[in-house]
Amino acid sequence: MIMGISRAIFTYLIFPGIAFSFFMGGIGWWLERKLSARFQYRVGPPWYQTFLDLAKLFIKETTIPTGAVKTLFVISPLISFSATAMFSAIVAQGYFFQKNAVADVIVLLYLLIIPSLFIILGAFSSRNALALVGAARETKLMLAYEFVFIISLIIVIIKSGGSILLSDIIRYQAQNGMHLKSASGFIAITLSIFYIQAKLGIVPFDMAEADQEIMAGTMIEYSGPLLGFFRASKTLLYFSLPLFIITLLGVVPGDTLPAKILFVALEYLIVILIISIIKNINPRARIKDALSFFWFFLSPLGIIGILLALKGM
Amino acid sequence: MIRSDFFLIDSLSKLIGIFVVFFTVIIFIYSLGFIKTKKLSYYFWFFVTALASLGVCFSNNLILITIFWGFLGLTLFQLISLHSEANMPSVAKKAFIIVAGSDGFLLFGFLLYASLSAQPFSNASIAAHALPINSTLALISFILIAIGCFAKAGCMPFHTWIPEVAESASVPVVAYLPASLDKLLGIYLLLRVVKDMFVLNSAAQAILMIAGSITILGAVMMALIQHNVRKLLGYHAVSQVGYMVLGLACATPLGLAAGLFHMVNHAIYKSCLFLGAGNIEARTGTGELDNLGGLGKFMPLTFITTLIASFSISGIPPFNGFVSKWMIYQGLIDVSSSSAWGTMKVIVLLSLLCALIGSGLTLASFLKLNSGVFMGSCKKPAKEAGWLLLFAPVVLSLLCVGFGIFASITILPFINKAVGGFSLTGLWQPKLATGLLIMGVLAGFIIFKIMSRKIRTVASFVGGETLTVEEEVKIGDFYNTFRQLAPLKGLYALAEKKFFDLYEQTKSFCFLFVRFLRYLHNGVLPSYLSWCLLGALGLFFAFFK
Repeated sequence: MIMGISRAIFTYLIFPGIAFSFFMGGIGWWLERKLSARFQYRVGPPWYQTFLDLAKLFIKETTIPTGAVKTLFVISPLISFSATAMFSAIVAQGYFFQKNAVADVIVLLYLLIIPSLFIILGAFSSRNALALVGAARETKLMLAYEFVFIISLIIVIIKSGGSILLSDIIRYQAQNGMHLKSASGFIAITLSIFYIQAKLGIVPFDMAEADQEIMAGTMIEYSGPLLGFFRASKTLLYFSLPLFIITLLGVVPGDTLPAKILFVALEYLIVILIISIIKNINPRARIKDALSFFWFFLSPLGIIGILLALKGM
Repeated sequence: MIRSDFFLIDSLSKLIGIFVVFFTVIIFIYSLGFIKTKKLSYYFWFFVTALASLGVCFSNNLILITIFWGFLGLTLFQLISLHSEANMPSVAKKAFIIVAGSDGFLLFGFLLYASLSAQPFSNASIAAHALPINSTLALISFILIAIGCFAKAGCMPFHTWIPEVAESASVPVVAYLPASLDKLLGIYLLLRVVKDMFVLNSAAQAILMIAGSITILGAVMMALIQHNVRKLLGYHAVSQVGYMVLGLACATPLGLAAGLFHMVNHAIYKSCLFLGAGNIEARTGTGELDNLGGLGKFMPLTFITTLIASFSISGIPPFNGFVSKWMIYQGLIDVSSSSAWGTMKVIVLLSLLCALIGSGLTLASFLKLNSGVFMGSCKKPAKEAGWLLLFAPVVLSLLCVGFGIFASITILPFINKAVGGFSLTGLWQPKLATGLLIMGVLAGFIIFKIMSRKIRTVASFVGGETLTVEEEVKIGDFYNTFRQLAPLKGLYALAEKKFFDLYEQTKSFCFLFVRFLRYLHNGVLPSYLSWCLLGALGLFFAFFK
């Protein structure tokens, strides 16, 4: 009993749960920064830069704007972090141990809304005009990318024979090859990569935090540990979002844990590379253009993907 | 189960009956604090509504149901027109014409059903004979009865009375009828239709699913651009019906349970939201988003209850709206993987897509509502509402949490009994998840407390300028980007011209016809005389040719 509980706590907190995802996310974020630096003929930061940045935030002073809804302002980053941590632990356990814990993929989709939701609520509660602009953009962007991710999720569900459990989706791919090899799976992975890009707020979809126009928008009033929690949840998402996509679409058959870690590392590297290429060859999009791109270009593509998946392609 | 010629008391009607009584009690308590004038007639019609609703849920005889159903249209009209404002008569008239007019369809549908299932109409029962839809007549009868349910519950295209009533009738009436009782009864009858009266075929399922999906998306897109709190809520009262209809359209035990559960949840959070909006209006005297703001500090309880209900309606886990939506999705996925027909599969999956997207759009519009009313800069300071007005929202929001986290031990057993045994295919452990979430937040809070001993309060920074919120952003216009996008632009313009309003379309068609008659009836004696002369000539010609 005690063994079981301590093992559950270990898997949740350390491996493959929060600590592991956090470490991998930090490395991924660094990699993305390093690649961007190389694109621009700069040297780029050392590998532990993400962690240093975070640690610095936690020793800085906290400021709260006058007239903010204080409780909501303080609790938003905490809930955002807590939900992200739970999401990361569930996805990582699902992938590495084929274990269904707490939630299926539809619940995971909804859990992923919570971090963005509380970024928006935090921004609203700060009562800053620029934060409000940022929050409005974040909300619209959220509608744009959720649309696309839902479509790729539906493609995955169709292709896995109608199951919404992580373990079934993994098993199906281990037996029949990864989903992304098929035409519809390829469409789904294309949509998903744009989803990651937008969800993490990476150029060209960083309009909610656009530093040069609205000075970090949603984050403008946050400082110190509170900003640290937002950054920490973003670090977690840097790994667990790609891992979620890999679980849904690109499971390589492999039984042992080291093999799995190796394959995940490889696929993760590819995803980060694609993301940073997209980042470095595009300027920031306007929110209207981003909406049109997601709704009227990617979504019809996704609907074609659904039809293809129904045909078994 | 008690069953006679006239009445039927089984686990389903008991469940509905309990909730009818519950909402009657809770909104009665609210009304005690809210209704200040015309008390006698208000409470008279209020309790007649409750009795007629109980009549509907415990009747077995089709004629009896139609009679109680008709009473409800009348009480709706009376309650709306009681506390009249400027444009009230036309709103009440519209609601009455749509609801009572659809009773005609319902009656005709019942008549067809009785004759098709070989029961005498005077004695036809609601749960005696499941008629397979294998002929056009059966399908027509199904559609006619469904129209009756749609108009009562507010499914498109018979929804147009709800947003208008929501905007202009008094708040307890809105929370009582369109938000809770009409949904309970409309969906109850549709559930009976799907479960006991008919055996659905793919065509009937497809009709329900298409109606449901269009309702979800169409109404929520309209809700996004509203400036009035109650009208915004009214559009959501329409949009959520789409989910229930989608659940029922599955016609599997899981789908029926999901639809039923969503209906209960909807009644809970939507009446909570309306009552919260009532508190705000009672204290500030306005429901326009552009004139509200910053009330979170002054009305904390109203704020928290509204926020919880908003999370519920947007399907944020672990609240109750999420659980029922999640069940609906599972029902749809099950139907899609078990159906063989290609077109049906596509329809089911597109409905699933609409349902999932609709929930994101719902969230967006509730972010707008909460930020507009409770956050931002305060334009009108207000006191928190009195305890009579707070009791109902607090109880309802507690139910939102309770039915969300403890669904499997509180309400689901009853629903299971009512629809007859369903099993879930997904996985969601709300108690564990909530525990983990709360522990994470607590751990984070402790870290926050340790790391930041000193917290400084500073003025907010807007690029070094002193801009106020209202100079920068108007919350009411939050989602105007959607209006500017090319394909939506035209749709919004048409919707605002009431092009999609079946009532207005029918009205203009009728007026076209009537205009000709009006032209003839110009009130001038010589023209009437000449008509008589012409008629007499015609008769002469007919008889003596």
